[in-house]
Amino acid sequence: MIEAMNLTRRFGGFTAVADVSFAVPEGEIVGILGPNGAGKTTTIRMITGFLPPSSGRVTLGGHDLFGGDVAVRRHLGYLPENVSLYPEMRVEEYLDYRARLEGMDRGAVRRRLPEILDRCLLADVRRQIVGTLSKGYRQRVGLAAAIFHDPRVLVLDEPTVGLDPKQIIAIRELIRELGRKHTLLLSTHILPEVELLCQRVLIFDRGRIVAEGSPEALRERWRGRGSVTVELAAAAPEAAAALAGVAGVEQVAAEGDSGARFRLDCAAGADPRAEIFQLAVAKGWTLLELAAARASLEDVFVRLTTRDGEADAAEEAA
Amino acid sequence: MSGALAVFRRELKAYFYSPLAYVILTFFLLVHGYYFSLIVAYLSDPRFPGGKPLELFFGQTIFTWLVLIFAGTFLTMRLISEELRQGTIETLMTAPVSETQVVLGKYFAALGFYLFLWAPTLVYVGIIRYFTPVDWGPIAASYLGLFGIGALFLAVGLFASSTSKNQIVSAIVTFFCLLVLFSCGLMENLVNGETAKRVLGHLNLWQHMDDFAKGIVDTRRLVYYATVSGLFLFLSTRALAAKKWR
Repeated sequence: MIEAMNLTRRFGGFTAVADVSFAVPEGEIVGILGPNGAGKTTTIRMITGFLPPSSGRVTLGGHDLFGGDVAVRRHLGYLPENVSLYPEMRVEEYLDYRARLEGMDRGAVRRRLPEILDRCLLADVRRQIVGTLSKGYRQRVGLAAAIFHDPRVLVLDEPTVGLDPKQIIAIRELIRELGRKHTLLLSTHILPEVELLCQRVLIFDRGRIVAEGSPEALRERWRGRGSVTVELAAAAPEAAAALAGVAGVEQVAAEGDSGARFRLDCAAGADPRAEIFQLAVAKGWTLLELAAARASLEDVFVRLTTRDGEADAAEEAA
Repeated sequence: MSGALAVFRRELKAYFYSPLAYVILTFFLLVHGYYFSLIVAYLSDPRFPGGKPLELFFGQTIFTWLVLIFAGTFLTMRLISEELRQGTIETLMTAPVSETQVVLGKYFAALGFYLFLWAPTLVYVGIIRYFTPVDWGPIAASYLGLFGIGALFLAVGLFASSTSKNQIVSAIVTFFCLLVLFSCGLMENLVNGETAKRVLGHLNLWQHMDDFAKGIVDTRRLVYYATVSGLFLFLSTRALAAKKWR
């Protein structure tokens, strides 16, 4: 439905997005993850036709988004990162304006309005002036405006920022429901959100896609690189040295300030827990804790985005 | 064109939602009321030569120009600057509307409010008509002139507004451009060259308004307003498109 081909965007001498290609097929919910400054918002601005790429192409339903025909944008609903509304308008007035911009007529707007207000939990503020709304309400007004004309593709840049936990659950429910009917591209910092909602994830770092796949596949790929937490009643230096000698342990990092508590990074596929237990028994140390951490998407994310950074730093040093 | 209509309606409403509009309206009424009373007092005094009150009201006076230049500046300064500053430009330019539609919608909203500003002056025409017969030709020509020159000034202001996200900067740029546009015609009497004199004579807006007030409608002048307005509107669409490339 959306296809990005070799998107590159430079601002002066700075390359914000470098040669990014991906496709979002009809009906899929795709998440974009990445640290701040990774190029997520720049990519989204290109996908929505706001920012023309320095090179590359974006097509929406097969039509070039920068081909000069603005009608293509009718298939698009967009919630920008900083939801900016006209503060002097009333909620329903603003929604009416946005719907009219999309080419809906008065009758269609009037029929659709109650449903949208209801779905986005806005019914009780419909007559309120936008400038007086809280951040959470504004976010929902922006979302309501984005879905009002029932677009085929929805692009949401951090849709749950600024909401309270109850609202987050409601909006997630709404997003999941929207995902059944619409193609959806979702950018967020919040990893559980991605795991919960998205069928596929693109991880961005420094303007590139560094990993792509379903949340399960990404976890699977990195599962071997799990870690084990160990706490022993023993002298810390001695314990650390002994643990480093266990097969499959790549790195030992002290955790906490007191006592012998360690996080062990393991080699791919290795599970050193049995051996650690044997070691503790042999040395006569009391084992206080022994737990394997399953690689979460968060680990994948942190590893991918920091490993690259370290590699770059090493390159620069060389 | 429904997109342009949506922009037009929102923009026109925005004028009435903002305190600025009421300040301008009040200022307008004060200046005009005061000036109209001056004219009536002047013409009622038997020691002064007679004249046509409405001709004096529209032409031959700096009051009209003060109003035109201030209105041109204040009515346009926020049109695009505010969208750029607030970031609402992002949803506007990802909606299925072209730059041209946005610019036209905003321009006609400003023009609509500008005409609304002049509407109360019809009362003065009514007052004069009550006491004495009036010649409708020059009055119609005067309003045509105000419309043409106003349309020109608002187009310049809209363009200035599209160049900056800061309203104050937009206002200063507009004010300066309008002063140049207005005063370059006045240079007619200061230059010596025959060609320069003729060129500046054509651009002399003061003279234009004077002639309109007398009932003289020169279509070349109307074409001048229309083409220069068109040029600035075109430049506005380009400036708006160029914002994306930064």
